[in-house]
Amino acid sequence: MLKYIFKRILIFIPTLIVISLLTFVISINAPGDPVETMLNQNVGGEGRSGEKLASEKTYNEKRKELGFDLPLFYFSFTNKTYPDTLYKIPKKAHRETLQRLSYEYGIWKNVSTYYQALRALEFKVFEIMPSDENSSKLRNIKDNLNSLYLTHNENEIKQIIETVEFDIFKDSNIKKTVETDFFELKNSFEHLIYNKKIINRYIPTIHIYGFNNQYHNWISNFIVGEFGISYQDKRPVSSKIFDALKWSMILSILSIIIAYIVAVPLGVKSAVDKGKTSEKIITTGLFLLYSLPNFWIATMLIQYLGDGDGLGWFPTHGLGELPKSAPYWDRFFETAYHFILPLFCLTYASFAFISRQMRGGMLNVLEMDYIRTARAKGLKKQVVIWKHAFRNSLIPIITLFANIFPAAISGSFIIEVIFSIPGMGQLTLQAIFQRDYPIVFTVLMFSSILTLVGILIADIMYAFVDPRISFSNKKS
Amino acid sequence: MNLFNLFNRRKNREANTLILQNNNESYWKIVRQQFKKNKIAVYSLRVVFIFIFIALFADFIANEKPLVAKYNGNVYFPVMKEYAVDLGFSDWHDEFRNVSWRGLKYDWVVWPPVPYLPRNIDVSNTWVGPFDDQNVESTRWKHWLGTDDLGHDVLAGMIHGTRIALLVGLVSMGIAAIIGIFFGAVAGYYGDEKLKMSIISILLYVIGFILAVFYAFGTRSYALADAIGSSFGSFMWEFLLSILLFIAIIYIFKLIASLAKKLPFKVKEISIPIDILISRLIEIVVSIPQLFLIISIAAVVAKPSIFIVMVIIGLTTWTGIARFTRAELLRIRNLEFIEAANALGYKEWRIIVKHALPNALSPVLIAIAFGIASAILIESTLSFIGVGVPAETITWGSMLSKARAVSSAWWLAIIPGFAIFITVTIYNLIGEGLTDAMNPKLKK
Repeated sequence: MLKYIFKRILIFIPTLIVISLLTFVISINAPGDPVETMLNQNVGGEGRSGEKLASEKTYNEKRKELGFDLPLFYFSFTNKTYPDTLYKIPKKAHRETLQRLSYEYGIWKNVSTYYQALRALEFKVFEIMPSDENSSKLRNIKDNLNSLYLTHNENEIKQIIETVEFDIFKDSNIKKTVETDFFELKNSFEHLIYNKKIINRYIPTIHIYGFNNQYHNWISNFIVGEFGISYQDKRPVSSKIFDALKWSMILSILSIIIAYIVAVPLGVKSAVDKGKTSEKIITTGLFLLYSLPNFWIATMLIQYLGDGDGLGWFPTHGLGELPKSAPYWDRFFETAYHFILPLFCLTYASFAFISRQMRGGMLNVLEMDYIRTARAKGLKKQVVIWKHAFRNSLIPIITLFANIFPAAISGSFIIEVIFSIPGMGQLTLQAIFQRDYPIVFTVLMFSSILTLVGILIADIMYAFVDPRISFSNKKS
Repeated sequence: MNLFNLFNRRKNREANTLILQNNNESYWKIVRQQFKKNKIAVYSLRVVFIFIFIALFADFIANEKPLVAKYNGNVYFPVMKEYAVDLGFSDWHDEFRNVSWRGLKYDWVVWPPVPYLPRNIDVSNTWVGPFDDQNVESTRWKHWLGTDDLGHDVLAGMIHGTRIALLVGLVSMGIAAIIGIFFGAVAGYYGDEKLKMSIISILLYVIGFILAVFYAFGTRSYALADAIGSSFGSFMWEFLLSILLFIAIIYIFKLIASLAKKLPFKVKEISIPIDILISRLIEIVVSIPQLFLIISIAAVVAKPSIFIVMVIIGLTTWTGIARFTRAELLRIRNLEFIEAANALGYKEWRIIVKHALPNALSPVLIAIAFGIASAILIESTLSFIGVGVPAETITWGSMLSKARAVSSAWWLAIIPGFAIFITVTIYNLIGEGLTDAMNPKLKK
């Protein structure tokens, strides 16, 4: 048995690696620049060159602190146009443009020269003291240069460069300072577009970056329990998630327990009473319950039983607001009262599902010969059902646990959102809308791990219930 | 009761022997007969046909434009014309550009049964219920199922939402079926020892696969990304090109591999445990929490689209289909007719596609029916919480979510929710009916 559990946990590892890779790929493709979100500011744009330098410095420091200045992965497998030193460019938006430019024209070195020229020109422009007559022109130039960082379309770039040229040459003061740098930019761009090497796109290349990369750091921090810092309130993700996980786990586990307690007797009863009118009503009712979307039921319950415009029987928002100083039992009952509706919404679908399965399993067993034998030798009906049939029909129900557990986790997601319970669901949804990705990806990893654990528990329980299954002796 | 059971069992055995005779026509005939006996499933299927009808003709049932109108002495068919304009065959007359169709003075006009589009805003009727007093010219313009906060007509939204609900089921299960049947068939038919290849071929295929991914998707990634940005049609076109390129490269390496077989020296053949590999892959996909994954992906996609949601649902739900196909093929591959086909020297792909798969399709159909139900449920859940589905797309789920804002709007809570419920239920009922019809043994 122990050996089997150990083997199962070994299988977890590749699964978790795949999930972590998936999570990582999603995270690096997430829109927005995490460093900028952290700093809550847009670097560049207005201000003098000194301020710009200072803000770029804070940006770079933050970037280094968060570990975003490292290569993404252990290696990269791309085409030859892919810049191997791209990760050294600080800003995410700039990196995307440069990568695209490099793809379009095929030679990273030229793109790099163009980028350096652009930066040099921008610094020169920022050094000019704005005065009354040139301030609007300066702002135009700055805006245009900024948009150059984000454009990869050849015609657009040409147009922007022309506009900048027009602005620069109208003012002799500006012209004097930035002329050489401007021509450098223009030449470097022309050099870029006239030396196209599209064949590079089709040459596969591998770069090796070693262990000091973003994925490696992220996953090794994850393993030791450091999940990063929330972009929004700068609290550690772990403390936020554990606060939320508490409520989600209470909800899910309570719902699973209640579902089993209600569903098993109901399933047995409907199997034993097969053919009676009462059984038909129960079966149809269960089928309908199973198909009812729980977010619909939740909305309806809030509307008709909730404390807004409904009958006012149940609270529909949060978990109650008694202060921590209130007596424990008062707080307990307040929370329990708030739990009734969400718990109901979370439970009915799974209990309908379980009792339908229970009914099916029971019907199968009741047809067996040994049940007829037991009845024939004069055992009471109740004894036969509970002692002979019930235990054997439990097996499929227990394997269902592997399905029910993940379903309960994701089910509680919606229910928490609707009833404003501060669990994982609400946390994740808020994080998504606020683009707080460290939370989103930690939640994704965590729910995968919980799902894996659920499957493992189901497997172990399976072995306990059915002595015919023995994992330790089986060789496979 | 026992006698009846006995009788039933004999009937079942007869049915089973009939199935095993591998006469496809008669097998499907039995299935159809069995399915027809299940009245509820038959009615569910009819409801699906009604939904399909509504979805196909949504533009004719609910539209802001007239079906037929005589204007300034000419007869026009504006709804039909719109299709032509959308396809680029035709253009609007100047007099119809940017007009309020209701405001025109027609000689005579035939409006669709519901004279609104889901996106039409009726400022004078916001939050009105079906039985409230509505500020409309006549009953012709009444909002039969009420409106929402902006005055969108609920009935029009319901009719056009049918399209999205059915499309979600169709597209996502189509993708899931393609992936699931492929993996399931390969795993089930070849098992762990049947697929033998020389080391050279394996190497060639691995290199071929990597290069195919590189050329079909790696170098074309910008073309694909740009196409997503412009329209779904152009994305599908680019995607198709990538797939074709992928297949072509794999095929080239297949040719090289078959040439390598003719080498004078003998290379040792090893069997590939393809079943273990695919089973492990299924295990990994199953343990990914689907809803969380979909929500995370939908959250990071720059331009949310209902089609991305469909694709993700398809990519995460193929495991059920793959498992069923695998189990069926494990059984079928040992039957006599497959041996016969092998003995006749048919190519293995031909055996799988023409002989094994048609006999394995029944559990797949069942899985698809249940899968459509759950896909519709996932999509409506997503639009309910407002993730992944663009705000301007009006779906049943997004309509239902508006009921949360104002709790007196009972019609917004009941009507879309009921539609989701009915759709999910009928697909589940069809699934049940198919299960009963295809496995008479299980029929109780």
